Amino acid sequence: MTTTSPAPEPTASGTAVRRKEDARLLTGRGRYVSDLTLPRMRHVAFVRSPLAHAHITSVDVSEALETDGVSAVFTGDHPALASVSLRAQSGLPGYVETDQPPLARGKVRFAGEAVAAVVADDRYHAEDGAEGVDVEYEPLSPQVCAWASPEEITDPVHDEAPDNVLLSRTFRAGDVEAALAEAAVVVDREVTTNRHGGNPIECRAGVARYEIADRKLTFWSGTQVPYIVRTQLAGLLDLPEGNIRVIAPDVGGGFGVKAVLYPEDVALCLMAMAMPGVALKWVEDRVEHLLSATHAREHRYVLRAGFAADGELLAVKADAWCNAGAYSVYPWTAGIEPLMAGGLLTGPYKLAHYECTVRGVTTNTSPSGPYRGVARPSTVFAMEALMDSGARALEMDPIALRRRNLILPADIPYTMPSRLVDDSGAYEACLDQALETFGLEGWRAEQQRRRAGGGKPLGIGIGIYNELTGLGRAASAGPRMAFRTGHDACTVRINPDGAVTVFSGVTSQGQGLETTMAQVVADALGVTYDAVEVRIGDTDESLWGFGAFSSRQAVIGGGAAHLAGEHVRGKALALAAALKEAPVEDLDLRGGEVYMAGQAKSIISLAEVARVAYLQSDRLPEGFEPGLEGTKFYDPIRGAFAAGVQLGALEFDPATGEIGILSWVCVEDAGRIVHPVIVDGQIAGSIAQGIGGAMYEHLVYDEAGNLTTGTLLDYLMPTSGEIPELTIGHVSTPAANPTGVRGVGEGGTLAPNAVVAGAVADALGVEVDDLPVTPASVWTLLQGVTP
Amino acid sequence: MQISLTVNGERHRVDVEPRRTLADALREDLGLTGTHLGCEHGVCGACTIVVDGRPVRACLMFAVQADGASIATVEGLAADDGTLHPLQEAFSRCHGLQCGACTPGMLMTALHLLDTEPAPSRDRIRAEMAGNICRCTGYVGIVDAVESAAARQRELAPEA
Ligand code: FES
Ligand code: FES
Repeated sequence: MTTTSPAPEPTASGTAVRRKEDARLLTGRGRYVSDLTLPRMRHVAFVRSPLAHAHITSVDVSEALETDGVSAVFTGDHPALASVSLRAQSGLPGYVETDQPPLARGKVRFAGEAVAAVVADDRYHAEDGAEGVDVEYEPLSPQVCAWASPEEITDPVHDEAPDNVLLSRTFRAGDVEAALAEAAVVVDREVTTNRHGGNPIECRAGVARYEIADRKLTFWSGTQVPYIVRTQLAGLLDLPEGNIRVIAPDVGGGFGVKAVLYPEDVALCLMAMAMPGVALKWVEDRVEHLLSATHAREHRYVLRAGFAADGELLAVKADAWCNAGAYSVYPWTAGIEPLMAGGLLTGPYKLAHYECTVRGVTTNTSPSGPYRGVARPSTVFAMEALMDSGARALEMDPIALRRRNLILPADIPYTMPSRLVDDSGAYEACLDQALETFGLEGWRAEQQRRRAGGGKPLGIGIGIYNELTGLGRAASAGPRMAFRTGHDACTVRINPDGAVTVFSGVTSQGQGLETTMAQVVADALGVTYDAVEVRIGDTDESLWGFGAFSSRQAVIGGGAAHLAGEHVRGKALALAAALKEAPVEDLDLRGGEVYMAGQAKSIISLAEVARVAYLQSDRLPEGFEPGLEGTKFYDPIRGAFAAGVQLGALEFDPATGEIGILSWVCVEDAGRIVHPVIVDGQIAGSIAQGIGGAMYEHLVYDEAGNLTTGTLLDYLMPTSGEIPELTIGHVSTPAANPTGVRGVGEGGTLAPNAVVAGAVADALGVEVDDLPVTPASVWTLLQGVTP
Repeated sequence: MQISLTVNGERHRVDVEPRRTLADALREDLGLTGTHLGCEHGVCGACTIVVDGRPVRACLMFAVQADGASIATVEGLAADDGTLHPLQEAFSRCHGLQCGACTPGMLMTALHLLDTEPAPSRDRIRAEMAGNICRCTGYVGIVDAVESAAARQRELAPEA
């Protein structure tokens, strides 16, 4: 893991180099799938179900086919699609496997499900055609609530699961009942969290083209996971994997929503295969996105915790329901949220006695899928609610109570009650720094001043969290899917002119991975940042990468990039040594020049070494093959936990319920930092999404299963007017991986629910059980306490 | 319908259906895909361009309404030799962009702000930019960038 060759002076890592992506993205020259135009391209519009649950009795496409510009209409029964189903698989005992058709067959299971697809010469005509598709439905009784009692279920969503439960699992450690019996205080909480979603500014987009002569399919897709998409498509389309090329060029945000292979994606590819040589393009609009891209975070937790008199957390007992929506999200399964919830509910706190039953329940709503932070914004809220209740019951300071229970450096490695192994002990260090930056004393004084002298009530909220990042093969075992995500590959190639091209398996939806990979390779290899070009997002170019999820890419893709860079550095130095007849151990490669120990002047340039390797085989020493490149995989086996603490001071207007954020501090342990500004950008962006989920974003279904928040006028995402100035700090404990980094993509989303709800409780003395916290909910809560 | 418009100083004649949005005409008929679409119902601001000196949502305007208009889009911001506009420079330096989907709209909104108010406070910047949604940055870098670009522009044009 550590380098044995003389270490190059790191020049690129740790500095805020200019992002490689910026020049094109700032000048309108980005290459997004939405922008792609190909010869003979046609456009697709989907016809979507207006009903949440119904049998399809007939589909009449005759009028659509008559529409100007329309060339084809597909339905679920079309021979090109009829035999294909997306079936999210898992080996977990009791998991109920169900099918998701690319276009609905026989029945629709949520309002917004695609029922037919119209192909036309442009999107306008495709939408005209879609209006001409006549679908007859026979309504069934819809179920939108994931914690309804079984008697309320008249028509199950899937026949295979009469109680709508697709998955249930109990996590157990120690003896919860005995520990609760001994506790000095026992507290109960029942909390729910609000359904919301990722909503990247670029919606889902795909272009598929099939060439029948060589049976090759190219799929340009705004996906976070091009290699998983290729593997899954190969099975679904019955094509050799090598005949499929998935290209994810510039992608306008992802946040997990684009880590899913959607039925629309599969339908697009199947339709392209039925129309060889014609490129088919589908770019959804925001209304479709809100209706049918994956949602997340609609959970309910029934919780009980026991504390000793000194504040020690003795036991946690929990029941959790996660609304999985109409289909088990492909390929992650309906286990994605419940398993994460049960595995990480206890967060950064030491605990011996734990029992938690989690369920993934199918309903007639849009499917739930991965969204930045997966389940943990809800579990941190639930856990911190227990902490606050415990502190009140014990009349203890809530921060002291938390501190009493944190996993400390001396406890590392700490086996959590779910048997995940925490390698971070930085919670208290983050807490101390966050408290100091925040100025807790000052805010407490201000709170007292307002209590005594009037003024808007002020509350302080806190969230402490552990973000499991960079999951290796041992840590990603939970869902027991058909594939085990743990490794990524990277190829480093020195070109004949000495410049470097990196083929990395990572993908980027704004995280600046081209930049980060270039920094890592530049330092591992010994060249300048500017000499490195990075290619990502094309399955025909790079060997392998599982993609962007679980804050894994800096850790895993970065690890592979470092190892590949080091490997090729070794090769280049060996060749240089042979060419110059110098001992290799005395040589060093820096800034693209090879130096002999103790000499200031370079003995040979990397460009000349490369020229020999490719163009002058007559000069190649005995035993050397031509070319200069290497590929390495990296798998961290476990993962790197990243500690984080957020604190907020919020004020509330008792007359209107209006909420003002006065201060927001976050301190995280990102390990060693490759690009400080990118890291802070990830943290700031994820906090903003967390605040959005805590205070604004709510996807609401009525009882009939109609989405009532179907535009951005009803679904509110925070703007620069709502997100406050954020103060971000770091502690840095390098992780045990090649670059020492810890993932930072998601941590920021984990705390805002807890911070905002905690601040309400602190300011107004009312417990917040349901999210989001809005002026209306604050006002309503206040009616219960003030006369 | 035949219309003519001037985009970033260049005259174009296009034949459009009356229902075609200006955003689609720019992106698909003129190939200027720098103007992005994030909602197509006038909320997100990704499609913001400047029409006859005023910021406009290109998804809410029909192309035919722009007949004879003079339009500025993100493609026209940098100088012909590729030198970035101070706003583009500042967005890069301050990390005012991640995925770049909201960026063209942010830049055009900020361009209009700095044209009309050379020295906006951070609060003013936040208020003026609040019609544009960014899902990536948490806005800190965007506000920093606009503030820094304003300062730079004042340096470059000190006569005021
Ligand atoms: S696309 Fe025009 S405002 Fe969103
Ligand atoms: S940079 Fe991605 S939406 Fe703003």
